[in-house]
Amino acid sequence: MQDAPIVQLEKVSKIYQQGQVEVKAVDNFDLTVRAGEFSVLCGPSGSGKTTILNLIGALDAPSSGRVWLEGQNLAELNRGRLSRLRRDRIGFVFQSYNLIPVLTAFENAEFVLSLQNVPAAERRKRVMAVLREVGMADYVDRRPDELSGGQQQRIAIARAVVSEPAIVLADEPTANVDSEAADTILDLMTMLNREKGVTFLFSTHDQRVMDRARRLIRLRDGRLEADENQDR
Amino acid sequence: MQLNKMAWRTLARNKRRSLITSFSVAFGILLAVTFTGSGDYSYTSMIDTSAVMGFGHVSVEAAGYNDRPGLARRLTEAGGVRKTALGLPRVAGAYVRIMGQAMFATGAKSVGGVFMAVDPQLEKPLHNFFLRSIVEGRLFDDTNGRGAVVGAGMAVKLNLRLGKKVIVTVTDKNGQLTSELTRVCGIFKTGDDSVDSGMVLLPLGRMRQVLNYGPDDATLVAVYVNDLRQVKRVRTLLAAKLDHKANLEVLPWQETQPDLAGLIAVDRLFNYLLQFLVGLVIAAGILNTMLMSVLERTREFGIMMAVGMTPRQVVGLVLIESFWLGVLGLLLGVILTTPWFIYMSRVGIDLSRHIGQDYSAGGVLVDPVMKLRLYRESALVILLSAFGLTMAAGVYPAIRAGRTMPVESLKET
Repeated sequence: MQDAPIVQLEKVSKIYQQGQVEVKAVDNFDLTVRAGEFSVLCGPSGSGKTTILNLIGALDAPSSGRVWLEGQNLAELNRGRLSRLRRDRIGFVFQSYNLIPVLTAFENAEFVLSLQNVPAAERRKRVMAVLREVGMADYVDRRPDELSGGQQQRIAIARAVVSEPAIVLADEPTANVDSEAADTILDLMTMLNREKGVTFLFSTHDQRVMDRARRLIRLRDGRLEADENQDR
Repeated sequence: MQLNKMAWRTLARNKRRSLITSFSVAFGILLAVTFTGSGDYSYTSMIDTSAVMGFGHVSVEAAGYNDRPGLARRLTEAGGVRKTALGLPRVAGAYVRIMGQAMFATGAKSVGGVFMAVDPQLEKPLHNFFLRSIVEGRLFDDTNGRGAVVGAGMAVKLNLRLGKKVIVTVTDKNGQLTSELTRVCGIFKTGDDSVDSGMVLLPLGRMRQVLNYGPDDATLVAVYVNDLRQVKRVRTLLAAKLDHKANLEVLPWQETQPDLAGLIAVDRLFNYLLQFLVGLVIAAGILNTMLMSVLERTREFGIMMAVGMTPRQVVGLVLIESFWLGVLGLLLGVILTTPWFIYMSRVGIDLSRHIGQDYSAGGVLVDPVMKLRLYRESALVILLSAFGLTMAAGVYPAIRAGRTMPVESLKET
């Protein structure tokens, strides 16, 4: 039996205006992502990977077509509800970590839970558990500028998964770290997917990430080029 | 939520900017205290000086006397009115007086002027500026005697000295000219030339006889309050108590001294306008700083919104920053202003070299020493305004922050 779809994109297009020129970043794109997947959107620069992640993550709206997250049509939600949807159902891992500079590692990881008004004691318990899983329990009081790129990305992963979202969207998560850190991050994500059942959707052109994916969604010029399942 | 913590850390992240912004709030408080305090001090001083020159803070007069002063309009049962006034809370003194125009003459010369007939047993220097200003001799003892205390200017004009005779000519209550011989027992010098050359103090009992007044008649009862802010209340209470007495009116100083009231109103208006403009400049500075701080953090707001912060929470975060900037500004303002205020309220700045000792405005002598006096209400208004201004200056930047589009801001590097 197949798991229920978490994400569905239905004939989605996204057109940007660049001066006088219209740029079609995503063109009539369909996609279904199911719970527990470890999928990768791959393709050359400008193929629409990040745009698709932004559309799924409710950070951007399509020019046409529909995006569904757990059965909810995102077009029907206002800005406030979209924010709450991101807070409760989506985890983000960005290429450049995007931690909040005035917060410590612990507070960054705790941020989404505090937005959800989770009681302090429970927050502490859950955050510490995740920080231990990502190997950052000893760095709780460090500010982002006191951490290496790999360490920052691990905190970003902790922030993304601590609230147990329906899906984690990871945009080029290994692009700004060295290969050792990239391996650590990928090990971590693989472990979270296998042991905790966290659903991941990556965008990348990093071969190491593609090698780990169970599903490869190849893009070219905003269109689906291939959708391949890889047995692992 | 961590908003408070984040707001504090954001302010601490750019300490210099936060301090400069807070100092501009503090400087605004200092300026507002100086403007308002000098106004409160000089207005209070001018009103008090005007009051102790005759009419009091509240004046009970025969109906119509204020509009058309004349000795024919007299208040009967003045003693009873005085007792009623003294029985009221916050009344510091009440005095029965007759004030009117007269001619003052010696064998050689005569001048026109104003007399104020007072009861020597009741008058106190605290509430009588002329008594405080006696430079030669003293006040007459006998209310029915013939003593006169003349201004120094008049003494020069009429070539008067202590013990010299002065003939006072007035129009009595029936419109008949009548004269009385008096003898100079004191000379006062207020510093205001027009007052010193035109005012004479005379005994109340004697002037009642001269004017054909009854034994309890007078032109007014001057009432003094402990605190100027109580004038309206005392006036209302007194008017209510005297309601049964026909043919009199109870007037605040604003009505008996309309020139002074007008001058103060205009000056206060300019003072407020100036403060408003200064406030506007300071608010523009705060707005600029806050906006800069927000625009620099567009990416941060984008991240916060991407991971689930609502636009309203982002607006709240920036407003909390404004709140703490305001609080910091208030604290710095109090620290900065307190020593200045203490110095200025106790010592002040002597402007006599620039404006002279006898500078007057609205017919009232002005203290040449610039001092500050701040009523509690004024202090509260200043602090609340400074705080409100900071909060208001944060509103637009907060809205800008709340409008951040995460997808756009995350593209920024």
